Amino acid sequence: MKQPTGQISRLGTFKYLAQRFAFLSLIGLTFALMLIGKADTVIVERARMAVSDAVTPILRVMAEPAATISQFVTNLQELGAIREQNAGLRETNARLLEWQAVAQKLENENRQLRALLETVNEPAARAVSARVVADSGGAFAQSVLITAGGRDGVAKGQAVVTGEGLAGRVTQAGFRSARVLLITDINSRIPVRVGEAGDRAILAGNNSARPRLIYLGVKSAIAPGDRIVTSGDAGAFPPGLPVGRVVVADEASAVVEPFVARDRLQYVEVLDFGLTGILADTVGVK
Amino acid sequence: MTGIAQRRTPWQKFEARARNILPFGLTVVVMLFGLTPTYVPGLSQITPLYTLVAIYFWAIYRPDLLGYGLAFAIGILEDLLTGAPLGVGALTLLLTQWVVFNQQKFFHAKTFAITWFAFVLVAFGAVLLKWFFIGVVADGGFTPFGDLFAAYLITLAIYPIIAWLFSKAQTGLLVEP
Repeated sequence: MKQPTGQISRLGTFKYLAQRFAFLSLIGLTFALMLIGKADTVIVERARMAVSDAVTPILRVMAEPAATISQFVTNLQELGAIREQNAGLRETNARLLEWQAVAQKLENENRQLRALLETVNEPAARAVSARVVADSGGAFAQSVLITAGGRDGVAKGQAVVTGEGLAGRVTQAGFRSARVLLITDINSRIPVRVGEAGDRAILAGNNSARPRLIYLGVKSAIAPGDRIVTSGDAGAFPPGLPVGRVVVADEASAVVEPFVARDRLQYVEVLDFGLTGILADTVGVK
Repeated sequence: MTGIAQRRTPWQKFEARARNILPFGLTVVVMLFGLTPTYVPGLSQITPLYTLVAIYFWAIYRPDLLGYGLAFAIGILEDLLTGAPLGVGALTLLLTQWVVFNQQKFFHAKTFAITWFAFVLVAFGAVLLKWFFIGVVADGGFTPFGDLFAAYLITLAIYPIIAWLFSKAQTGLLVEP
């Protein structure tokens, strides 16, 4: 404690310089990491999954209260509208029964025609159910963490769906967790078909709730209300998964409202069509 | 104070050390809280930047306990967990901290309202910085401003709540510097 003042000030200067050096080298390190991350190296991916795997059990516990509250609120809301809903459901049920008859007839017909043509059957999907435990990135990124990983057969490139339609695709699969890039993320590009004509386009996310259609053919006549399904091009997804509906279609842009809403994601299904082998590191899968 | 410090038992030393990692620990908790899905329609889109609030707060009140190294660690952890481009979050937090550290005289013994107002400016810079670097690094280009601005406003709105919680923790648990 009884050092001469010169030494103290020298010590102070040293401390100041050390801190400054630490700051500058850390800033340099962040830029280096940005470059490494940009190159999509395996190390970064492994690090991401290691961290996710470690934190997922904690997030799982943390997500519990919110899920319970949300369930409770939904229950209350449903209780209020139970009568109308019942009437509505009865009506829908009757309509669906008619459709079922139609579908069965068509399925039979389809089977017979397929048998006639000797077409190869599409591979059946294996589905893995998982819970969404982290909705990360806020306005900057649109991805979620789910509680299924490599141990459950989840692999990079697989399609993730809910009852409503396509939610996104697996971009990283750890051991017990996986990251799902939602179709609304700015990095998401999904080959789709639009409307009854089935015009090909790419559905491009932009971090807002409504992605846009790009690379749409010049002659394609799309209109608001057109249904969008996956095209299966580039082997990214099985064809025909429902994606969304066109809400704005003018000369400048075509905006899509996805069937799956990010904030309602609670449970998802990961579909394994055995397609991942060819696309794991190709177009559209990042 | 030094007299007591010299006679500390190992347990007391451990306790003091445990208390000193409180700012870091609380920041991580707040970060995880930000990741938890709320299932409230429209909310996930505008999740506030929790770690920014935390880093700013500790940079003003306990710069000794949460320095550049830990801020970097928190930023990297967040980038890894949120799937954001690696390094961008860390850069934002580091620069936020740097600004506050360099304005220590300004922040010294200021009222809550003034630090909050300063946060309005600092957070604006931080969001803009993050937006710029994510736009540069991400393949998809720049994120539209709409939701980002909402997220910024919400971040400003939650500042008093987090600051209140942290100051409670600080006065209740932390050892004086």
